[in-house]
Amino acid sequence: MGILRDEAKKLSGTLRQRTAEPEMDEEIRFHIDMQTEKNLRLGMSPEEARRAALVRFGGTERIKEEARDEYRSRPLEDLVQDVRYGVRSALRTPLFTLLAVLTLALGIGANAAVFGVVKSVLLNALPYKEADRLARVYSRQLDGTLERSGMSAGLVMDVVRMQRSFTRLAAFFQGVQDTAYSSESGPRILKLTLVGPGFFETLGVPARLGRTLTEADGNTGSRVLMLSYAAWQRELNGDPRVIGRTLRLNSRPWQVVGVLPRGFVGPMGEADLYLPLDLGATLRDPTRARRRHWLGVVGRLAPGATVEGAQRDVVAIAAQMARQYPDSDAGFSASVVSLRESMAGDTRTPLILLMASAGLVLLITCANLAAALLSRTLSRRQEFAVRVALGARRGRLVRQLLTESVLLAVAGGMVGLLLASLGLIVLRRLELPALPDYAVLSLDRGAVLVTFLLALATGTVFGLAPALSAGRASPQGTLREGTRAMSESRRTRRLRGALVAGQIALCVSLLAGAGLMARSLWAMATAPVGFDPDGVLAVDVQLTSHKYDKEEALIHLYDELNQRLRSLPGVVSVAQVSQLPGLLMDRNGLAIQGVTWPEGAGQPFIRYVDVSDDYFRTLGIPLLRGRAFGPEDRPGAPKAIVISESMAKKYWPGGPSQAVGARVRLGPDFESPWSVVVGVVGDVRNDPALPEPEPMSYASIRQEPWGNNFLLRTKGDPLALVPAFRRELAAIDPEIPIRKAETLRAYLAEGMAGRRLPVLLMTAFGALALLLASVGVYALFTSLVAARERELGLRIVLGSTRGAVAGLVLRGGAAWMAAGLAAGAVGVVVVARLLRNLLFGVPPFDPVALGAALLTLLACATAALLVPVRRAARVDPITVIRE
Amino acid sequence: MTDKTKGDLLQGTLDMLVLKALQLEPMHGWGITERIEQWSQQVLQVNQGSLYPALYRLQRQGWITSSWRTTENNRRARYYELTEAGRRQLAAEQESWERLSAAVNLVMRISNT
Repeated sequence: MGILRDEAKKLSGTLRQRTAEPEMDEEIRFHIDMQTEKNLRLGMSPEEARRAALVRFGGTERIKEEARDEYRSRPLEDLVQDVRYGVRSALRTPLFTLLAVLTLALGIGANAAVFGVVKSVLLNALPYKEADRLARVYSRQLDGTLERSGMSAGLVMDVVRMQRSFTRLAAFFQGVQDTAYSSESGPRILKLTLVGPGFFETLGVPARLGRTLTEADGNTGSRVLMLSYAAWQRELNGDPRVIGRTLRLNSRPWQVVGVLPRGFVGPMGEADLYLPLDLGATLRDPTRARRRHWLGVVGRLAPGATVEGAQRDVVAIAAQMARQYPDSDAGFSASVVSLRESMAGDTRTPLILLMASAGLVLLITCANLAAALLSRTLSRRQEFAVRVALGARRGRLVRQLLTESVLLAVAGGMVGLLLASLGLIVLRRLELPALPDYAVLSLDRGAVLVTFLLALATGTVFGLAPALSAGRASPQGTLREGTRAMSESRRTRRLRGALVAGQIALCVSLLAGAGLMARSLWAMATAPVGFDPDGVLAVDVQLTSHKYDKEEALIHLYDELNQRLRSLPGVVSVAQVSQLPGLLMDRNGLAIQGVTWPEGAGQPFIRYVDVSDDYFRTLGIPLLRGRAFGPEDRPGAPKAIVISESMAKKYWPGGPSQAVGARVRLGPDFESPWSVVVGVVGDVRNDPALPEPEPMSYASIRQEPWGNNFLLRTKGDPLALVPAFRRELAAIDPEIPIRKAETLRAYLAEGMAGRRLPVLLMTAFGALALLLASVGVYALFTSLVAARERELGLRIVLGSTRGAVAGLVLRGGAAWMAAGLAAGAVGVVVVARLLRNLLFGVPPFDPVALGAALLTLLACATAALLVPVRRAARVDPITVIRE
Repeated sequence: MTDKTKGDLLQGTLDMLVLKALQLEPMHGWGITERIEQWSQQVLQVNQGSLYPALYRLQRQGWITSSWRTTENNRRARYYELTEAGRRQLAAEQESWERLSAAVNLVMRISNT
């Protein structure tokens, strides 16, 4: 507060300068008059009295000049001087400066990088017009199994017709599909999506070239499409005459009518091609109209409408439809969420977690540098004392030191920005699937500004304590003490102890958090998935043309490829599946013959996948009851279903034995004949974040020929078989491209990548914090020893053992460490509570994670204090006394 | 200096003496020089050249404040007054001064015998 008052006074001094001048004159005149009167009383003549008074006073101009100096301040010249001096003093101690700048760069850089991500994901504008007025509409299952599901075409139409909250609504296909594009240089795979009428108008996105899709495009079923900017550049070299060009997709011609602006990403994710979505046929088929939940809906809120209001509106419509169509719509409600929230998705929590971790690291950095500067201030006390004795004011000294620390922080901030942009480049390279597609990871002007402010704040925070303590020191004392005045005052030592305790507390909290997250990730990664993913090659093929539109052709292709693959050397078994385990998307509604679902609940939706006969054997999924699929499951034969153990237990009171032979129907078509449960297999974990495996159902690829993923269990390296696979595929049909060939392990790891990164970063932050805190502990003990060296030497002379001396030092510092750990315990409780909902398979107060955090910190702190404590024990009494 | 009994002020003690002089009542600059000379029985002479800068300095440190008032003889003069912080500072300086001078006395007496 002292400085503030000082500054304020100096400022008012500057303002008052004009009035101060005549006042000063008047004051001096008054003084001289009084002296003259006194001289007169002493018997001098008037002239003599006046002259003597003037002589006694001395040069009035000089006095006024000095007084003026005391009054006035020259902020700009002072600042320039401070900065120049700061740079000089930083260069005088290059090692200290380098370390400080590096530490700061790490602390500030971590924050800048995380902020860059946070900004691009959570803060930057979405690539739409007035994006905060946009919202998504979802179906929601009342039993809680599906919070945000696609909507049926029928319900979309009802909502569009009846709602009053949106000025415009548009449906779109929720995902993207791969499609084969016959380019001049061979087949290419592009991502395609379907958008309903008014989709681009709703988002407020105009075409960059040509036009956007219109309602007429959908209704007439004309084959027109829009290109994304990236696809236009990449596939067509940015051809300026692209409008009207014809592209062959799946061997059919499509005409380009428009190109989208650069940076556009739809709510369905990144796509190359946007085709018109025609719901006409779907709406005419009663089953497909209301029982298939596959449409995304985006709407622009009407002026004055809120997301909550829109939610009530749409929920009421959904409830009305559930009464009107109990067969299909019962059990469903609806929800409305802002587009930002729906697109940022699950990234919000980990990002906030990372931001908090980076913030903790920066706090530790501040505490660390404050302590380091405190001890540097100590060794510079001589310098300060001389400056005070020569007339420097305390406020000026404080400001000088603050300038120095802010200079350090700004330098650190600049290096930090460099580190942050490098980090973001790495993150961009990783193309994290966990981050929403619209996020452009870069440091824009806003992020740079925030970083700069952060650096300023950091410099002030860590510079304040040492600056004030330097301003408080008395110059006489210091100068008298001379060169041996290396010990610090009790006050400074307390401050340093508190800073170290704070570092320890923050560090323990951060380590505990990182430990919990790492344990949780580990539990997730090592939880049995229910199958053996090692030694399996997974190849995703793309069926190109309408050659395979007929089921017979497809089955023939599958059979032939299977046979060829099986006979390859090194292949143990071959299987086919529509979607890989761990990446299952589809669910189907379940009906069981003789079972009616509770009123209003609607049917449950079960994960559903088509597999070949050898699927269970290839992946090592145990058959518990009944049989797997076989040649008897011909097209036309009663449809066979295999279910997972948890499904059998959940829906049949008698479990697997009762389930086998049961008649069920999985899918939207209520007119289709019943299927038969022929077998029960072990559970497979599809979503590693769920505590229990979900119920799962399988159909035979013989009866539902969907299966572009080939799984090869191999004897050696799975990837060694990729060329052979290519060869065999080309021998059957050279036009079929391979989309992706990877080990099954790699596929699974990819699904975890989004979860791994925050944990990795948090652990890195924890390690950084640990390093900083250890340095802090080391410095604390070193200064403790330095301060008491003479005393320790004396004690040894007087017969104290070296062990006792070391113990003395240890006790002095251990108190602060204990205080830090105690405060850290509070921090750990807070962290554990915050993380509770993010943990998988680990209790919030997991003794392993928390114990490991504590032990790591203790080990590092002990290592750090060992050196100074040993030095204390080795104090040479003779040298010390002689000094 | 011809007069041996008159001493220069020890460096750094002027501030303390000014505070001390203001301990009882607010005073103008002239009054402060008079009071110090009077209390020190004319031994200490305050150099006006250092008095006014000192007054401004003390003021900026927040130990004294000033205001314009009229004297008994109806003249305008700037009066200085101790603040609460100034009183504390005075107490602190007085204590350390006493310790120092006692120590110096101690030493001087020993070396005389």
